Amino acid sequence: MTSSDQQVDSNLSQENGLAIINSKAPFGSNYGKDALDVALIFGSFEQKVSLFFQGDGVYQLIANQDASLVSIKDYLKTFSAFEFYDIEDIYVCQQSLVNRQLDEAFHINDVQVLASVEFGKALNRHQHVLRF
Amino acid sequence: MKTLAVVVTTPPYSHLTITALTYVETALAAGIKVIGVFFYQDGAMHANENISIASDEYQAIAHWQRLNQQYQLPLHICITAAEMRGIACDSIDNEQINQAFTVSGLGELVELTTKATRLVQF
Repeated sequence: MTSSDQQVDSNLSQENGLAIINSKAPFGSNYGKDALDVALIFGSFEQKVSLFFQGDGVYQLIANQDASLVSIKDYLKTFSAFEFYDIEDIYVCQQSLVNRQLDEAFHINDVQVLASVEFGKALNRHQHVLRF
Repeated sequence: MKTLAVVVTTPPYSHLTITALTYVETALAAGIKVIGVFFYQDGAMHANENISIASDEYQAIAHWQRLNQQYQLPLHICITAAEMRGIACDSIDNEQINQAFTVSGLGELVELTTKATRLVQF
């Protein structure tokens, strides 16, 4: 690593804020909704929050899902409100999509698909991490 | 001064809660400032006075209560998580709620997170 790389890394580590990792499929448990509630509260308190989707959590971003078919209130629709809460950093793990043969067809815009190393680096920029 | 906040998402009968308790107590004993524990998801069940765990098993709730008294450790439960698990939070002198716990909202989690040097989730 060169000294300029180290400079960049130390700047990034000062970014702070909360990272929320979503690791569960959307309708098999309450984890996704519980994570969403935390994200929106941090957003409404004007605290920086970034969302990470990894493992089965990537299913929360896939387009054209109909929760009403399984009688679940569709909390995924609320994802479209992220910009009103200034939640702008949304990262998805590319390898998790590939492993599940999922296309990058998401129901919200501005999702950043990152390779594992980049995903890890983005996560590392945050002071706090919660995982659901 | 470095500060610690802890999030507990596991129920009182979970073995994982023992890890959380051991971690928090070790931190307190080492003189680390633990600014609060926030009970979210199944963690909210800790405040339920009606929970009864066999007497020869680990009494997680009693241990949280002890840490609360011994170290004035703030214990916050998420009201939404508590109410959906049958703990009525409508009045402060509610006999259903263990008095060591404070009924709070997710706003308290924001507060703890912004104040803490480190946030650890169980």
